[in-house]
Amino acid sequence: MSILFGTRHTRTNIDGIAKQALETGRTRILVAGALFSLAFLAIGLRLADVTIVKPTGEPRLATNKRTPAFAAGRADIVDRNGVLLATSLNTASLYANPRQILDAREAADKLARVLPGITAGEAMSKLSSDRSFVWLKRHLTPRQQYAVNALGIPGLYFQREERRVYPQGKLFAHVLGFAGTDGTGLTGIEKTFDDTLRSGAAPVRLSVDARVQHILHQELQAAVTAFRADGAAAMVMDAKSGEIIALVSLPDFDPNLPNAIPQKAAFNRTTLGVYEMGSTFKIFTTAMALDSGASKMASSYDASKPIRIARFVITDYHGKNRWLTVPEIFIYSSNIGTVKMALEVGTKRQQDYLRRLGLLAPAAIELPEVGSPLMPSPWREINTMTISFGHGVAVTPVQLAQATAAVVNGGILPKATLLKPAKDAAIPGTRVLKPQTSRDMRRLMRLVVTDGTGTKAEAKGYFVGGKTGTAEKIGARGYRAKALVSSFAGAFPIDDPRYVVLAIVDEPHGNKQSFGYATGGWVAAPVIKRFVERAAPLLGIAPRASDSPEVARILDLKLPVAAKSKTKDRQGSDQNASY
Amino acid sequence: MLSGFYKQPEMTIGQKLAEMNWGLVALLTLISSIGFVMLYSAGNGSFHPWALRQMLRFAMGISILIALALVDIRFWLRYAYVIYGVALFLLVVVEIAGDIGMGAQRWINLGIINLQPSEVMKIALIIVLARYFHSLPEEAEGKLRYLLWPALLALAPAALVMRQPDLGTALMLLMVTGAIFFMAGVRLWKFAVAIGGVLAAIPVAWHFLRDYQKNRILTFLDPESDPLGAGYHILQSKIALGSGGVFGKGFLQGSQAHLNFLPEKQTDFIFTMLAEEFGLTGGLALLGLYGLVLVYGFSIAIRAQSHFGRLLALGMTATFFLYVFINIAMVMGLVPVVGVPLPLISYGGTSMLTLLIGFGILIGVNVHRDMVIGRSPRMDGP
Repeated sequence: MSILFGTRHTRTNIDGIAKQALETGRTRILVAGALFSLAFLAIGLRLADVTIVKPTGEPRLATNKRTPAFAAGRADIVDRNGVLLATSLNTASLYANPRQILDAREAADKLARVLPGITAGEAMSKLSSDRSFVWLKRHLTPRQQYAVNALGIPGLYFQREERRVYPQGKLFAHVLGFAGTDGTGLTGIEKTFDDTLRSGAAPVRLSVDARVQHILHQELQAAVTAFRADGAAAMVMDAKSGEIIALVSLPDFDPNLPNAIPQKAAFNRTTLGVYEMGSTFKIFTTAMALDSGASKMASSYDASKPIRIARFVITDYHGKNRWLTVPEIFIYSSNIGTVKMALEVGTKRQQDYLRRLGLLAPAAIELPEVGSPLMPSPWREINTMTISFGHGVAVTPVQLAQATAAVVNGGILPKATLLKPAKDAAIPGTRVLKPQTSRDMRRLMRLVVTDGTGTKAEAKGYFVGGKTGTAEKIGARGYRAKALVSSFAGAFPIDDPRYVVLAIVDEPHGNKQSFGYATGGWVAAPVIKRFVERAAPLLGIAPRASDSPEVARILDLKLPVAAKSKTKDRQGSDQNASY
Repeated sequence: MLSGFYKQPEMTIGQKLAEMNWGLVALLTLISSIGFVMLYSAGNGSFHPWALRQMLRFAMGISILIALALVDIRFWLRYAYVIYGVALFLLVVVEIAGDIGMGAQRWINLGIINLQPSEVMKIALIIVLARYFHSLPEEAEGKLRYLLWPALLALAPAALVMRQPDLGTALMLLMVTGAIFFMAGVRLWKFAVAIGGVLAAIPVAWHFLRDYQKNRILTFLDPESDPLGAGYHILQSKIALGSGGVFGKGFLQGSQAHLNFLPEKQTDFIFTMLAEEFGLTGGLALLGLYGLVLVYGFSIAIRAQSHFGRLLALGMTATFFLYVFINIAMVMGLVPVVGVPLPLISYGGTSMLTLLIGFGILIGVNVHRDMVIGRSPRMDGP
């Protein structure tokens, strides 16, 4: 290869040198030619490689590269039918770098003109600060963003943000709660399922039904307005699965405006508030008396004289002053008779039954706002007596609904839930009462509506059954006779209950239509009637004739004739005596 | 000095025409015709907007080729530095006053045509380097300082072109220079040093590259890192090539090209389109034709009696080779996307004109192959 590297020895012959140079050149040409050929060979092989050996097909792109999903962020929340309850929108928020603003006065004037809610003075003070970042307005509409862009002011910028939107407004306020400006769930379902929602996966499907919720909300609101009540709570629960179909707490709020929620409106009465339920609680006293065998349907008790114990006197609101059978005690809401039944059950068994009915432990519902029941400690005989008619134990409405479901559905306590269970999921539940007890209780609850204190809950054709209650609220100096919690807890259709319904009105004031009464029978029962009449068709329950044989067979109950003396003020007769 | 110092008989025009490589001219016409066909296809089966204009340019270019082939190569020797000077001047002008097109400042608008000085420089640099090595005294051969001047001759325009920025052309100028150095007999260890130096300079040079140039190199290393962005061109090109198969989808049937998935199908990526429509067979056939052109180039170089003529021929051949190699390797993802057209086929007047001028000079070398030229142009006869 001496030619390639050049020759070092001198040659005398000039011609020879020229020849030598030419020779070197020729060799190099051959080398270059060889290199070029190799290069051509390489691209030829590569061509064969890409065309036939490993063709790069289109599907490879499609499968290998997953396009990142449009970052919609926080997942939606939908109702049981897929109606959108909460969603996320991408919005633009306006901020400024005041150091880059050339003329703060002019910019502020222009901004105030196109953006409602911003005054020129406010914008001026922000734009003339010496910081390099100030928020001007969060979550602009596209039209507002366009208008701001059209102003052409340097130093204004948009930050892409996400805004949580609740299309149903107030309707699901206490179910959903709300997420803060930074997209963190602060209350309600938004808080409980914050992690799930953040991961942006599939929508969270709740058990609630927007249509039913709407009806319940409307009827309850009407009662609150009519009776100038302080507030109210109502729920509809699937009697067997424990799914909550509707849940309303009043006053409520618009979760779209989380900065303007009064403390009172934020309070969820259905799951956080605990109330002494009054006579509604007699459902459980009667059920445990029958279930334990302490009483039979035909048993009768002496309700002719008030009960005196220590310094208290327990009376009936409108005493019959005679012996009463168990059905009479229940439908006339006799405190004296109920206390006597409870005493036969005994303190120990009363505690056991209440515990099994889920009334002594917080409800395991999917909301962060869950109240703990209040109960006496120590639990003496006097407590057993007062608890029997709903004073001395305070529970949340969701606990009440759950326990009522157990009483009417055949004796199985469901777990209250706000999530729609999968189609074939097993329904969790524990047996707490005998089926026969449940059958008897359904008859008794139906009698309350047909013949007792709850006649205003009768929704023709839908066979509502239930129990009214009117409790006195505890004030600074004992119970206040004029501050009531009026309630109705029941189920429909009572021959084979599908839904438990519950309405509790806090501090209603009697009006002309109720002849001044503000009791459960006058205030809460009509809410149930109007609700059931509107909602039952939506829930797929057809009305039936009131004398239809299958209902009559199941609900055959002969009230002792002697007890059938109606009083015109019966709706008020469940009010408990004061101590 | 005696050997080249005698008066040579002048050739007549007729003799010169007879001596021309008409086979090469036919070959170039054939390749260009393939280009017309592909441009017809790129225009979705229409002579408009590309094929017809390309044909007109070819007609113009082939006339220039024949005219240049008749020019005595001593003319190029005599005016080498003048041509180089003008080209360098134009590069400076374009730097100061050029039009900006496609994000780069590459053209001078002369009213009728847009002059691209970097193309002029491709020819001028070959001529001036051929002349320099031709005139190099024997005793100078092998001495390092005699390589500084030609290196400067190459680096000055390369730096200007790089500033436009046109990385592809700058690299081509340097590679052609390297090829001429090699064939002029510069010792191999110097190449080793130069290549080592270039490799060492890569980390430094990286900082001077524009973002899009960096992207192209990164994309070359991993095209799938950004399939919808910087890697889009090369991925779509590979899809098109892969879908072509052995015999292709057929003329006018290339879906990648006709549905506009393939970018720049009428210019830099026209080879992909050809391979999509005519498959491996079509691609290899074109490579074969290009190979034949190179064989012509080399045989002309070998037969040339003068050092100048041989270097001229080799420079032109090497330029042509680089066009072919870089373009095809680029569309197949073997080298980064640098924007080098496929010679005689890609749509574009400037590169076609440059190539036909180059081939004109190449054929001129063949016509005047027996001319013996002395080391200094002044030593030649009148």
